[in-house]
Amino acid sequence: MSWASAIIDGLTREWGVDHPLVLGLLALALLPLLGSVFRRGPVPAVALVPTDPLSRILSAVLCLAGIAAIAALVLGLAGLHRREQSVEREGTGAHLVLLLDRSSSMDNNFADRAPTGDQESKSAAAKRLLAQFVARRPHDRIAVAAFSTSPMPVLPLTDHHEVVDAAIDAIDRPGLAFTDVGRGLALAFSSFAGDTAEASRAVLLVSDGAALIDRRVQEALRDAAARTPVHLYWLFLRSRGARGIFDVPPPGEDTPQANPERHLHLFLQSLRLPYRAFEATSPQAVAEAIAEIDRQETRPIRYLERIPRQDLAGPAFALAGILVAMLLGAKLAERRLAPASAARVAIPTDMRRAA
Amino acid sequence: MSSALSHLPRDWRFWLLALALVAILAALVAPRVALTRTARDILLVVDVTGSMNVRDTVLDGAPATRLASARRGARALLAGLPCQSRLGLGIFTERRTFLLFEPAEVCENFAAIDGAIDGLDWHMAWEGDSYVARGVHSALAIAGGLKADLLFMTDGHEAPPLAGGLPGFDAKPGDVQGLLVGVGGTEPSPIPKFDEDGREIGFYDEQDVPQENRTGAPPADAPSRAGWNPRNAPWGGEPASGTEHLSAMREEHLRALAAQTGLGFAALGTAPALLADVEANTRPRPVQVRVATAAVPAALALFCLAVLFGLGAASSRRRGRLPSR
Repeated sequence: MSWASAIIDGLTREWGVDHPLVLGLLALALLPLLGSVFRRGPVPAVALVPTDPLSRILSAVLCLAGIAAIAALVLGLAGLHRREQSVEREGTGAHLVLLLDRSSSMDNNFADRAPTGDQESKSAAAKRLLAQFVARRPHDRIAVAAFSTSPMPVLPLTDHHEVVDAAIDAIDRPGLAFTDVGRGLALAFSSFAGDTAEASRAVLLVSDGAALIDRRVQEALRDAAARTPVHLYWLFLRSRGARGIFDVPPPGEDTPQANPERHLHLFLQSLRLPYRAFEATSPQAVAEAIAEIDRQETRPIRYLERIPRQDLAGPAFALAGILVAMLLGAKLAERRLAPASAARVAIPTDMRRAA
Repeated sequence: MSSALSHLPRDWRFWLLALALVAILAALVAPRVALTRTARDILLVVDVTGSMNVRDTVLDGAPATRLASARRGARALLAGLPCQSRLGLGIFTERRTFLLFEPAEVCENFAAIDGAIDGLDWHMAWEGDSYVARGVHSALAIAGGLKADLLFMTDGHEAPPLAGGLPGFDAKPGDVQGLLVGVGGTEPSPIPKFDEDGREIGFYDEQDVPQENRTGAPPADAPSRAGWNPRNAPWGGEPASGTEHLSAMREEHLRALAAQTGLGFAALGTAPALLADVEANTRPRPVQVRVATAAVPAALALFCLAVLFGLGAASSRRRGRLPSR
């Protein structure tokens, strides 16, 4: 249930009907106040009838039964239901942003060639393993963002993993030219902007390269990191021949221009966030890194478990059935005022009102 | 007892009550029947190029950008699609369509898809170019692979302008069905210009944009232009002038593109009109839904009770009250 409808529903948060206009028929429930199931019969003089509290109570009960039967039928027809409820439970999980590199180099395999035969491209390996990762973490709220030449928000935080799977399925499509990881990270941080829950938050950056981060973007990222404490994981899909992020190059070659990946690593370390980088050179190494992240992100989380909507039309009809059966019973017990000459039956006084 | 009951069959009140009870019992045991309804599988692609920032559409009585109108239309469509339909999302810039997520079921994932549509923004564009026709072609290829129909929202503004008609379309027209939705007004309007930090700094003017596509072969009328030289100035000696810095929804171009690719065309209007156009131009996918039939006997029961008490009320208006002492 979205927040918008939650506000609109206001008081009717727990209960709802499918066809609100049908509720107009509730006016019919006033009819039993005016008429009854019993025949009218002539009484010579009403003054002859003694006061009888039991009769009055019985007659009121029958009248209420009529009202309730009609109301129950109308509510059942309108589709009365208890809305989908959510119960807060404790589990393990996190609020997670998947920040996925969609640059065209991800379409190559780990040897940085176009994949042939049974080889898997980096993006296909990431897709397969991320899908398994998401499937293992049912309580996570997951957002998806992509970056390449420009940052692209894909999905806001959601607990519906079907659409997350659909977004992960899209990552092995042909990518774009560049890798603007800085703005991508800024976008990932901003995904938590409206998230006030006290859950563990994590950003999982999956990329196969990096680029220089603009100084102003660096400053914006430092700000964002200070404002939004998150756990940061970088899964670096390292191609054969590419420089590793943990190797220290010889002095003089250690420049951001020559080693953008290593300097991104240094920059992320300098953000003073809980940060871990994983360097994966094969699909197996990716699987191990994802398993490690899965183990790390096991802090408690409050998550909402859905209790599906409960249809109450059946119970409403059953109640109406009981009430109508009661009225029918009363109807069967109805006795007519006999002609004075034939005085066969004593008149049950509770029937007099209707008579 | 039998003598006491003997008068009942003549009392219509009894029979109405009995019929109501039978109808209610029938409602309680009424089966759910499987009906076939139609759902749609749609790939929605939204143009996020610069011309979509033109404020020549109206939302809630105020001018709004074409992109905002497209978002509004897309969200209304999402809300109007029957459950079990699937919607995927992509964006278009430059010359290709970029898939954000594959089609996912619309009811279960409503909030996420709605949020994703709401997040569409011109910042997502990775290039300034806008080869709409090529974008539609690539979107058709993606939609074909996903077995979905295409809904492509664009203003049809090609930048730079096409040289010599529509680019060729390789696939078979009509293999993928769908709809081109034209967004924007018919009067040419200025296109907002942004600096590299995303701040608006005015509008494009005539010299800011290519007015003519000067790649490929020059047009046939080039020799008649001033200063033409077949080697040094094959497009004529003067800079091109024109109105490419103004943008209107190019309906003719979009109609030609729709005819080439076998898609339908509709200008973005009200939400019900959009939904009707989408339903007319996409393929229905039959889905089974289980529908409760209890409402029919229950309505009969309600009718019986209403008649019973209504007639009872009509016939006991004047007298029949208990004495009030």
